[in-house]
Amino acid sequence: MSAISATHLSKHYGRKAAVDNISFNIQQGEIVGFLGPNGAGKTTTLRLLAGLIHPSSGSSQILGQRVPGPNLLKVGTMIEEPSFYPYMTGWANLKHAAILHGGIADSRIDEILKFVSMDKAAQKKVAAYSQGMRQRLGLARALLWRPKVLLLDEPTNGLDPVGIAEIRENLREIASGGVTILISSHILAEIEKLVARVLVIEKGKLLFDGPLTQITQNLDEPQTSYQLQATEQNALEEKLSELGYGFESLSNGYLRVAVPLSEAPNLLSRLAAENINLLEAKREEDSLEDAYLRLLREDGRPS
Amino acid sequence: MNGLVNVIRAELFKALRKKRTYVMAGLLWLIFPPLMLLVGWILQTRVADTFVEDVTSVREVIQIIASPIAITRNGLLLFGNLSPSLLIIVVALIAALLIGEERNQNMWKTVLTTQTNRLTVLSGKLLTAMILLGLLFLGSYLVGPVFGGLGMSFLPTSFGSGWLELLGLYSLQWLFAFAAMLFAFLIIWLLRSLPLGIVTIFFLPALLEGIITFYRTVVGFDRLNRFNAFLEILQLRNTFESLPKYFFTSNLYAPSRQPLSKLTDILDIDVNTVDAGPFASLFSLDLSRSAWVMLVYAIIFAVLLAWSFSRRDIN
Repeated sequence: MSAISATHLSKHYGRKAAVDNISFNIQQGEIVGFLGPNGAGKTTTLRLLAGLIHPSSGSSQILGQRVPGPNLLKVGTMIEEPSFYPYMTGWANLKHAAILHGGIADSRIDEILKFVSMDKAAQKKVAAYSQGMRQRLGLARALLWRPKVLLLDEPTNGLDPVGIAEIRENLREIASGGVTILISSHILAEIEKLVARVLVIEKGKLLFDGPLTQITQNLDEPQTSYQLQATEQNALEEKLSELGYGFESLSNGYLRVAVPLSEAPNLLSRLAAENINLLEAKREEDSLEDAYLRLLREDGRPS
Repeated sequence: MNGLVNVIRAELFKALRKKRTYVMAGLLWLIFPPLMLLVGWILQTRVADTFVEDVTSVREVIQIIASPIAITRNGLLLFGNLSPSLLIIVVALIAALLIGEERNQNMWKTVLTTQTNRLTVLSGKLLTAMILLGLLFLGSYLVGPVFGGLGMSFLPTSFGSGWLELLGLYSLQWLFAFAAMLFAFLIIWLLRSLPLGIVTIFFLPALLEGIITFYRTVVGFDRLNRFNAFLEILQLRNTFESLPKYFFTSNLYAPSRQPLSKLTDILDIDVNTVDAGPFASLFSLDLSRSAWVMLVYAIIFAVLLAWSFSRRDIN
């Protein structure tokens, strides 16, 4: 049984499609990254899955039951910035959620606060919390009733590198308990250490659904890039422009030139034929991040 | 059912951690009764045994202002005889706390993903609102004997009679207020702005009713104007003329205005009086008609609120 599934799910605001006919299945226990630039439709999709908004067409299911339905009580969510009653302490906010959901002992609140390293700040009013503390408390609330499915919308937003690493560790631990996690981000690097599979969305359309490593293979032609240094750097720039190669100047004085893999041998021989004396040509592999960005650009997004 | 109980418990948990709840209760329970005692004391020390006694008995006036039954009765009068009334202010504040705050603090997404059945959440919030209002009413009823009893030690007052009747009127007023609560929830939910919602709750019914009253006063007498002719054609003239009988506010406050007739009776003011026997007034034609009117309002507001609450996207 799928833990999360979407079938031809769409959400329109007027004529604009925020989510456009997307379908996917996530099995129980999977951790899936949901990638896309800001405004791509990630949050709208998560809201649809959480039953907060109604689809214009299509449907979604959580643990085999159509959304909205009672199974949503088995879902933990953290959508956009977590919000709280500012006049209550962190503990009281969790207690309120515990009562509202039902069946949660006070000891669980203490346990989960400790899990997200918020036990020492639990008795402070939320109004005095930093962004990072709010993110942690939001995660604590999402985990309070031991959900079987977690929908997390950019949970590391506003966190420092240490906080990001801690949240990542928290999520790994949760996932090891068989919880299905759909985690959105607009930065691949944030989730590439956590997830094996990604969904890439752009302008409401699902561009890619598969293992993270396949993003590069999914593209029509892989790319490679060279960092070049010549005896006369100005002449190199002129020649690259003349030959129609795009390039960028790096802070180390080199020029980076990205070319399709099949074109790579031609680049160097053409430059040699044009009497450009290269001092160094360092080849760079097409990273996941590069591939992800190219995937988005190929869909028409300006780079 | 469990979900409903959870919502009520959670909302009470929240309300009890909000200063506004205590300020409201304090204003209702602790400011008004001592004020009545102070007025009674001033009358006793400054006005008694003066020329005023030739016109009216000061002792009797103190009894209808500061006796235990009077404080409780005046508390009820207070709910429906100001503009905007204390009742509508309290209702708006409770609605603001329970439904307006969720939008202000961006809490809907949290609430509706924690307890996912929207109608359960809405029903739970409404019932909590009525519980809070009921507690405020009960407190207002009980401060009479407490403060009035205290006042009996230095004022020439007696405990008074008609407690059961007053309890009935308080209960009726509480029930009538359910329609007002639904109205307040609906307005705050629809307008998506707490300040605008509160202002609208205060003034919209009175404004609409005022416009109709104004029309009836200024234009309505003229049988030949076009609007009247139009209504005549539609055979709605009589309905339009009798509209004030179905005004929201006049019916809403019927129970808390009931003791007013009794007061004017005591003070020998020449107005239409009502039978003041125990429970008699509760079932008088006016109150029962008002009850039906409020029921219709409640049904309309409830249907609109439930429909809108279950359909709207939470962005």
